[in-house]
Amino acid sequence: MKYLYVYPEKCTGCRECSIACSLSKFGECNPKKAAITIVRDEFNRYEFPIICFQCEDPVCLKFCHQNAYQIKNGIVIRDKDKCIGCRLCATLCPYNSITSIDDEIIKCDLCEGDPKCVKYCSTGAIQYLDETEELEKRRKKMTEKFLEINKK
Amino acid sequence: MLKGKLGIIDLSKNKITIKQTSESLKKILYGGRGLNSYYLYKMIKPSIDPFSPENVLIFGTGFLTGTLVPNSSRFNVSAKSPETGILGDSNCGGYFAAEMKYAGFDRFIIIGKSKKPCYLYITDNKIEIKDARDYWGMDTTDVQQTLRRDLGHVEVACCGVAGENLVRFACVRTGVKNAAGRCGLGAVMGSKQLKAIAVKGTQGIQIEHPEEMLETVEQLKEYIMNSKITSILGTVGTPLLYEVSNTLGAIRTKNSQLNAWSESLNAEEIEKHVEKMISCSSCIVHCRHRNKLGGEGPEYTAVGLLGANIGIDDPCKVIELNNICNELGLDISSSGTILAWALELYERGIIDKKITEEELCFGNFELAKKLLYKISRRKGFGNILAESTKNIARFGEESKDYLIAIKNLPQSDPHDCRYIKAFALGIATSSRGADHLRSRPTLEIFLKLPQEVKEKIYGKGIPNDPTSYIAKEKTIYFSDNIFAMIDCLGICKFICHGFNSPHFVDYTWMKKLIHSASGWTVNENDLEMVGKRVIDIERMFNNREGISKKDDTLPKRYFDDPMPLNLSKGHHIDRKEFDKLLTNYYKIRGWTNDGKVKKERINELEALA
Repeated sequence: MKYLYVYPEKCTGCRECSIACSLSKFGECNPKKAAITIVRDEFNRYEFPIICFQCEDPVCLKFCHQNAYQIKNGIVIRDKDKCIGCRLCATLCPYNSITSIDDEIIKCDLCEGDPKCVKYCSTGAIQYLDETEELEKRRKKMTEKFLEINKK
Repeated sequence: MLKGKLGIIDLSKNKITIKQTSESLKKILYGGRGLNSYYLYKMIKPSIDPFSPENVLIFGTGFLTGTLVPNSSRFNVSAKSPETGILGDSNCGGYFAAEMKYAGFDRFIIIGKSKKPCYLYITDNKIEIKDARDYWGMDTTDVQQTLRRDLGHVEVACCGVAGENLVRFACVRTGVKNAAGRCGLGAVMGSKQLKAIAVKGTQGIQIEHPEEMLETVEQLKEYIMNSKITSILGTVGTPLLYEVSNTLGAIRTKNSQLNAWSESLNAEEIEKHVEKMISCSSCIVHCRHRNKLGGEGPEYTAVGLLGANIGIDDPCKVIELNNICNELGLDISSSGTILAWALELYERGIIDKKITEEELCFGNFELAKKLLYKISRRKGFGNILAESTKNIARFGEESKDYLIAIKNLPQSDPHDCRYIKAFALGIATSSRGADHLRSRPTLEIFLKLPQEVKEKIYGKGIPNDPTSYIAKEKTIYFSDNIFAMIDCLGICKFICHGFNSPHFVDYTWMKKLIHSASGWTVNENDLEMVGKRVIDIERMFNNREGISKKDDTLPKRYFDDPMPLNLSKGHHIDRKEFDKLLTNYYKIRGWTNDGKVKKERINELEALA
């Protein structure tokens, strides 16, 4: 199974990933209307891509009262027809990976195996790789760190 | 794509008008620098004082700014320049311009003068004039961070203390170091009591053919990434140019008394002080350094002008001066040139302690630092230096012989233009004064580039010898036009064909990108004509302010003093040859022998609407 892995130290903050995502999904260039978000602050000196981790036990799925979420081939998919737009998933996701803007809920679906964010990243800060033990360890560490920050 | 709005803000009357940008004008001039220059020409009456409420200050995004198109982060700030008294215009990257687009605006035109310090707060389709008394007096990082604390994640363009105090070379800043640096536009903000523009938008830019844009950009990205220059720029940034120019013997050193300086400022030395390379919005080159001394940069301009030109060879000290200029909101190019000028004038006894208050000498970091602060506060000798090139009147006619400026604009490029003749013609004819970003054909530096490559870009008959005067008018004509067009589109020059590489965005790429974004079908020639139109409009503005052939000249030193060191030893600019070059240049531009736009062309361009 292939997943997205992020390397913040390589992220330059340009947002080509988010813009490509919004362009392919909505036909517009808007980094704020994308399934991937770059959190950046040039004064506090960081750039960080926020992606969906496609959790094994996802909060979005667990708490969706319309059963709009399901896991298909390891990818957490939202069924647009079932979704009533309550935004609970976006509120509850501990990783802030679900975007909600303009009455849209945007959840990463890995672009049917051809993620646009990866294609338009010029530094390899986002990579689409076969999962390995080592990569999973790294990813787990990252999610734990997120949860820790979230608790604060 | 074409829904962007034009906000007109009258600070005297506290009045805001929001209009649609005219589509017919977009077809003729696209956006960015082109439309800015058009409005300046239309709206500014000749001979006004740049610090008067009559001056018009424009923030204009490029046609493709904020899109997926690589490096489409740019905007132009334009007004009549308080430093030069002619067209003032400066191009800038960062995240501000994309955010303007996401808030629904192409352009802000600011007129009048506020009674008290103010800032503009822009949200989706909305403009508010707000009280900025709490922000007045803040350095550029401080004000941006405070605005973010107060308003959320806004992108800000602001002036520093230097702009508030009307330093004639104060810049407009956004982010840690991005600056619309040239021509003193930060001081125009100060004169209008406008501390900042804060923007926050959530709207997207509608693209006519999304799939086509995704495909075209994918191909373009591969094309750009395959160029060697891309990876070098992305690793060490512009300081790489320092070594190239220094080896040649073309680094302005100690006010161009010398032409080569220490290897301690080479890119590999600068790199040791870099934490990470970062980008502007949509940029795939990422040439900007986050330095370990708390700021961003230095660019090659800072390395040359705050290093070699004032006799400093310690990279840490250069970076510190760079960071100070950015915080105070001073243009680095003018700062380094004006300081070096004063240092040499003192050494020559043309000015003395009566006005400088203390001994001046090259290589004194503490002195440079102190002077930069004094300039920004207009204290003591700083108050004099803040007047930039206007000091010729105070320092005396002889001082002019040592000033590295054209049309009263200190030269931006740390490159000494006595060796490469095309560079010399470029800075002499640039529409804002001595500046390299209007037309510098950097390829001239790469001495081993085959002649066919140059001929393919610039036209037949271009010799491979950078010291030859032959046909160099063609090189500048081509570069001036394509750089103007790329400035209209809002794309960075670093991926512009002919600037650093013969393999970047040319008119054919532009044509494809424009089609995918807007659905317009245009051809290469149409696009070259846009650039030509921009150059003519800017020249019309300058002609109206009295600019003619007499002003398209070079610093005296470039004509009369042969270069002393390295490969370029003995080279200088020959007055007669240079004069011929100018005449040829005017001829291909279709200007009169005195360098003026002809009546028929003026009528044609004035009729545009």
